[in-house]
Amino acid sequence: MKRSKLMVVISVVFLLLLSACGTSKTGGDGDKKTLRIVTDAAYAPFEYQDKGEVVGFDVDFVKAVAKEAGYEAKVEHVGWDPVFVEIEGKTADAAVSAITITDKRKKSYDFSVPYFLSTNKIMVPKDSPIKSAADLKDKVVAVQNGTTGMTATEKLLGAENKNLKKFKDNNLAIMELKGGGADAVVADNTVIEEYVKNNPKENFVVIEDPVFEKEFYGVLFPKDSKLKAEFDKAIKKLMENGEYAKIYNKWFKVDPDLTEINAQQ
Amino acid sequence: MEIRWDILAEYAPFFAKGTLLTIGLSVVSIIIGCILGLFIGLGKMSKNKWIALPFNIYVTFFRGTPLLVQILLVHFGLVPLLLGETNGITAAITALSLNSAAYVSEIFRAGIQSIDKGQMEAARSLGMNHQQAMRLVILPQAFKRMIPPLGNEFIVLIKDTSLVAGIAVKELLYWGQALQGQYYRVWEPYLTAALIYLVITFSLSLLLSKLERRLTTE
Repeated sequence: MKRSKLMVVISVVFLLLLSACGTSKTGGDGDKKTLRIVTDAAYAPFEYQDKGEVVGFDVDFVKAVAKEAGYEAKVEHVGWDPVFVEIEGKTADAAVSAITITDKRKKSYDFSVPYFLSTNKIMVPKDSPIKSAADLKDKVVAVQNGTTGMTATEKLLGAENKNLKKFKDNNLAIMELKGGGADAVVADNTVIEEYVKNNPKENFVVIEDPVFEKEFYGVLFPKDSKLKAEFDKAIKKLMENGEYAKIYNKWFKVDPDLTEINAQQ
Repeated sequence: MEIRWDILAEYAPFFAKGTLLTIGLSVVSIIIGCILGLFIGLGKMSKNKWIALPFNIYVTFFRGTPLLVQILLVHFGLVPLLLGETNGITAAITALSLNSAAYVSEIFRAGIQSIDKGQMEAARSLGMNHQQAMRLVILPQAFKRMIPPLGNEFIVLIKDTSLVAGIAVKELLYWGQALQGQYYRVWEPYLTAALIYLVITFSLSLLLSKLERRLTTE
């Protein structure tokens, strides 16, 4: 008797699990499909949360591109590493998160044409002995895990160096520098320049070094996504008709220099 | 250390929303965890070792692996597999319930087995069948003994809900991190979050000790 009761319990549990399967894949293909675009909203001014809302240059940019391509876009914060998991698993349509186009990433994902030029730079306290990338040797460096800043720093210090602290997002890396747990942060120039500019009292400076190569950001897609061609066309259109410059100006207060980006396209 | 009250005031509605979600996640996971845990505990006590085996494996797995790893597995593996897309809240509830069920099942088993064998024998000799004896004699006594360890487990679970901030579920700690991300402040978001967690867990332990006193027979 006890046994039959247990079987009932087990089958109920299984039924519950199965019924959960039934709700998969609804979202029909209407005229204007809403794309789910994921991001790591901890990278101001590209994407950050302003009282619960995901905002930033990337957000405005990708929404404009999606609109141009005939879609609605919903940008959702999921975190940096999850961005790649979501795209790999095709649970999101695209990702925009100041993602640098690299050959390594191209093997697993598709990228749109480049839309932003960036370089890694070093952020240190004003009185720091660090003056160039070469000085980073034997110093504790905080980076965001999985970024090109991390790869560049690993090249300088050696991979898996114990002086390299990898954080979940760039804010935490900056907090570590502020707290004295690191001597420098290596990250994309715009992000640390913006931070230094907005927090003048904290006495940080940004160091440029030619050792860091020029990088281009692209919109990330799952491999062989049909969206890529549509987005490429839309991005080029926005750059030609001045819409891109308008969004750029809104966030960076200067006009973009498109020559290098156009050369890449 | 100076506290910037203005940004706390700005984030107050978000902390409030986050607190509600934290409480919601905790309550739902505690309920599902208790129901599942009861069945798993009974299954583990089965004399047939083939029935007990899967329940033993279950408890070993969920008690023996970190909750954060389970959350990541459920969020990026199990939920997309079943639903076709990620869903933070579903993943949070699933992982928290499955995890707490493992602990709760052990609490149930320990509680039931702690009751003297003579109680069952006496009940049976009075003419009750096994089920009646369980329901009327064993379980009420066992339940009383389970309250302190269950209270512990609930408090642990409430605190563990903070782990789901890592998969961007908008609970209490998530908003703390969002505040930190926007203003690069440490004390305001995390002290606030800590205080709210403390209020929730402290209220629960008050409630439980009241219940315990009420059930005292001596």
